Amino acid sequence: MRLTLRALISHGRVARKMGLGPESRINMLRNILTGLVRHERIETTWARADEVQFYAEKLIDYAKRGDTDEKAMQMANFWLTEKDLLPKLFKVLAPRFENQSKAYTYMARLPNRENLDRAAMAVLEYKGNPFPPLFPAKRENELTLINQLLKGYREERAQLSGSKP
Amino acid sequence: PCVWLRSRSTPVIVLLYRFSQCDREGVDACYPSLVVKLLYLCQKMSLLGLFNFLRRSLQRAEATLTDIAGFDGNFAPALAVHGPCVLPQPVQDGNPAPSFLDSIFWMAAPKKRRTIEINRTRRRAPEKLIKVKTNIEPCLECGHPKQKHTLCGYCYAKVRRETGEIRKQIFAMEGKPLNTPAMETVILYDGETPGEGDKDKRVVERPRKRPSWFILS
Repeated sequence: MRLTLRALISHGRVARKMGLGPESRINMLRNILTGLVRHERIETTWARADEVQFYAEKLIDYAKRGDTDEKAMQMANFWLTEKDLLPKLFKVLAPRFENQSKAYTYMARLPNRENLDRAAMAVLEYKGNPFPPLFPAKRENELTLINQLLKGYREERAQLSGSKP
Repeated sequence: PCVWLRSRSTPVIVLLYRFSQCDREGVDACYPSLVVKLLYLCQKMSLLGLFNFLRRSLQRAEATLTDIAGFDGNFAPALAVHGPCVLPQPVQDGNPAPSFLDSIFWMAAPKKRRTIEINRTRRRAPEKLIKVKTNIEPCLECGHPKQKHTLCGYCYAKVRRETGEIRKQIFAMEGKPLNTPAMETVILYDGETPGEGDKDKRVVERPRKRPSWFILS
């Protein structure tokens, strides 16, 4: 039996509110998505990056249908405000993710913004972008203490096993 | 109590008064004459005359009642004495608009000074102290402190700077804004040549040595 007022209590509501209203939210996300398609790596607040990630991946799914598809072209036309990105979307991004099915974007959290608001920031990028990677590849460093000790231990073992027989 | 008697021509209202036991003699004397008069009026006169007659007869009946009950005539109190007023009197000359700030009866105020011990326990309660963060660890690449769930600030600043430089170069290559070509991009540093997979890509040349953390995957 419902004992609460539906309108005033928001228990369990997960949809985010952004900007001045639902239309403003869509416009804001559209601008961010256009920037992402142009630059392939952008830095925004964490909430906006989280919302745009969903729309970015859906846009790639539509782009994979091909530019002859009416619905795909309508969607791309709506979501990309700068129309010189339409050929880039259909000819560069869609073939890049041909063999992948789901995860086209990568979102990583950054340290909070330096301003007074200390906003939680995130960097959102399409995978396969030409820029330097966010996660540098792990290299085993020979010069760490533990590695030097292990190297010394291996050399001693080799000397002992060489001198014995 | 009233009794409605209906005749063919006009309604006749006969009022019966309930009197007390001792008063029956005074009323019975005029009772037959009342009925006779009513019967006469309903045949001869109009409704207005009938109502006037009824009014007068009611007044007479009321007068007889007061005489029987023992009242003098005017219904003033028999005796009035000065004494203390029992009931609360309404205030005649109060303020025209008394503001709530004037009253001192319903504003909350502290009763006692809060002692320093109580103040200290409130100010130093665990929920008011700054929480200790246990999710800080050194970055494996540069050694600067970083939070576990975020990227290292120093390493990301390096990446961000280099990305900015690359973007400036791309903008210079494109010439005017909104001029993106429908091609992939590859970035080459000093002394590098495009490889096998870079045939149909546009090349962005950076006039510096390749940084150690930017390895071609």
